[in-house]
Amino acid sequence: MEQNNQEQHHEGNKHWYDRWHKKMLLPPVVLLIICLIYLFSFYSQNGDIIYKDSSLSGGTTITLKAELNIEELESYLEQNVDNVNIRKIADLSTGRQIAILIDSSAEPSVLKPLVEEFIGYKLTNENSSVEFSGSTLGKNFYKQLVTAVIISFILMSFVIFVLFRTFIPSIAVIFAAFADIVMTLAMVDILGIRLSVAGIAAFLMLIGYSVDTDILLTSAVLKKRGDTVNKRIHRAFKTGIFMTLTGLIAVIPAFFIVTGLPDSFRQIFLILGVGLFADILNTWLTNASIIKWYSDYKKIN
Amino acid sequence: MVKITFRIWILIIALMLALLMIYPRFQDGVVIKSVDKDYKAFESGLRPGMEILEINSIKIDSLNKYLEVTSDLLKDSSEKRITVITKKDSFIFLDSNLSAITVSEIPNSNIKTGLDLSGGVRALIKPVNGSLTDLEMSDLIDITNQRLNVFGLTDLTVRSAKDLEGNNFLLIEVAGAAPDDLESLIAKQGNFEAKIGNVTAFVGGDKDITYVFRDATQSAVYTPEPLGDGSYLSRFSFTITLSPEAAQRHADITNRLSIDPNSGGQYLSENLTLFLDGELVDELRISSGLKGQVASQISIQGSGIGSTPDIALSEARTQMHKLQTLLLTGSIPYQLEIIKLDIISPSLGEAFTKSMIYLALVVFIIVSTVISIRYRKIKITSAVILTMFSEMFITLGIAALLRWNLDVAGIAGIIAGIGTGVNDQIVIIDESESKDNYSMKEKIKRALFVVFGAFFTIIAAMLPLFWAGAGLLRGFAFTTIIGVTVGVLITRPAFADLVKQLGSQQ
Repeated sequence: MEQNNQEQHHEGNKHWYDRWHKKMLLPPVVLLIICLIYLFSFYSQNGDIIYKDSSLSGGTTITLKAELNIEELESYLEQNVDNVNIRKIADLSTGRQIAILIDSSAEPSVLKPLVEEFIGYKLTNENSSVEFSGSTLGKNFYKQLVTAVIISFILMSFVIFVLFRTFIPSIAVIFAAFADIVMTLAMVDILGIRLSVAGIAAFLMLIGYSVDTDILLTSAVLKKRGDTVNKRIHRAFKTGIFMTLTGLIAVIPAFFIVTGLPDSFRQIFLILGVGLFADILNTWLTNASIIKWYSDYKKIN
Repeated sequence: MVKITFRIWILIIALMLALLMIYPRFQDGVVIKSVDKDYKAFESGLRPGMEILEINSIKIDSLNKYLEVTSDLLKDSSEKRITVITKKDSFIFLDSNLSAITVSEIPNSNIKTGLDLSGGVRALIKPVNGSLTDLEMSDLIDITNQRLNVFGLTDLTVRSAKDLEGNNFLLIEVAGAAPDDLESLIAKQGNFEAKIGNVTAFVGGDKDITYVFRDATQSAVYTPEPLGDGSYLSRFSFTITLSPEAAQRHADITNRLSIDPNSGGQYLSENLTLFLDGELVDELRISSGLKGQVASQISIQGSGIGSTPDIALSEARTQMHKLQTLLLTGSIPYQLEIIKLDIISPSLGEAFTKSMIYLALVVFIIVSTVISIRYRKIKITSAVILTMFSEMFITLGIAALLRWNLDVAGIAGIIAGIGTGVNDQIVIIDESESKDNYSMKEKIKRALFVVFGAFFTIIAAMLPLFWAGAGLLRGFAFTTIIGVTVGVLITRPAFADLVKQLGSQQ
């Protein structure tokens, strides 16, 4: 009985998909264009396509093991230094504030005495961590990491071409990965996340991570025979969407446990989460539509 | 009954080797990382590597307990009897506190954590103008080593590092707890000059200064005094011995000075001014009795200022320590700048490690639950869980074998690697359970095409990180690559065999 239902479902699917697959390409493409326009205007406003934290733009981060009033400290510091950003870090199990994170573009020699004056005792290696990056080094790192992202994208494209050895299906996979990155970047900017060195590494991870469902889909269409193309896409979808959803569910705790994790760690998970979400769209609307179109055109069955 | 195939044997052997590499052990307590040579603790015989069991009859079973006891000691600044019992011996000495030593928790496995989790100091230093030749770099490494050696650190690395664009840096890394005044000695040019009027009397380094006293008899930090504006000032002084030539030069200069009439005949007309890297450290009056005298021992003075007496006191101690060390080691002939300096507290790292392990567990449970809901087969679910666990365990084993320092990004890499592992397994299960007319062998082969395709794209994506950003993200790239490689070469084939058997049983 269940078997029958599924078959009927497939039949229904086929009609529906044959008629709609080209139109399904539209929403992700429109969204991609919106994201690109957004990133472009973001760039013209901020001089870059992301917000950078002190590890990339230069500045100081002080992590202080203390319970105190964040607002008071923030307004106190804002009178004296630029770009102050304060967050609290809480214990995962008890929710108690265990530390605060102070980020500023000032040098430690300026920021440290100010914080010491506010809290009334000396910052030592036991009660605090101080991380400082010079602004030239930050810029240098940023430049090199952006180069790394580009090289990584080119290497990934190369692997895809070697795997499938056909032009349009390979381009479809690469286009989907590109759209993943652009949409994630736009979302990260909208959320106002200040990217760290680790955050950029997450984009590299995303390049590697997002294409596995595309490979699954493309190989199902190109390398299998027997069922109709629609059925093969549907089966790949069932497997692939489960993979992505499992991944999403796995990164979700990091969204909620906002305060107890190292910032770099949380950023990697946030970016992977947003990226996986974008990947659902780009694999099953963008890539699937292109490969379906291609297989109709090439009469693959 | 599952037949143990060759591939499953490989998995079992890899797991056993990983266990051997990680070598978990259960031991409480703290171990000494460094002992400052200028303190009584060092004199009494305490050395890095010793495991502390008790301090003043209080049992030390964790880093927190140690910090509790040492901060209690800090509450009163008088000298007292401190008894430290280590695993092999006991040490008794008089001191006001235990700031001379730094400790860390006894590691409970061979897995080493990176600076951002275990705490420590990382500094990247470069000359202000241009780049250094190899010879200049090796000189710089020597002087830096000499300066930092006063702290008696065990885990100290001083080496040169290059980035993608060929810039060379001096990289200093201290693992674990680091002494507070370490920072003041990094990248200081250390140009010390003592002037009388406009004439240089003597400079830092062993040519003019033959000895610097650092023991309590001839060096001291004095009780802080309140300044009018609510802050406090603490003075320090220590004695140095001048070389005969420097002492003679000093005498010649003072000989030419007159006596300051405003001081009632007590002092000479010019002062002795001390400069460090062009900044005034202190200005001292010269007693009129010294006029033209060849004095080989000179008292160097200075002060520290702070908003509370404690801050002033520790500032003075830091300043004195810095001055003493720089006078001993002499100067570096070019200006340096710190372009990156991370000082990470070990106790914060501990909290982070705890929450990451907690998060990893939550993720593990969630993924297992999702898999069991989807497949509703206990055998398949347990095979997935077993594979996830094996993958993580073998990756950690390899990290331990290579003495790789696992940092925050590295741990994220391991978790991400396991994520791709789960994806691969879903592909294998779905493919093997499909109703295609292919043989089981053919189905698995098809699944492995996707698995290997995904594997190569991840490797390709991670490779550039080995070089970018002075290798700061190498840990992330490395653990991700190790994780997915272990997955593809060891756990995935074993899992495919398991699924094949489970599939054919039904």
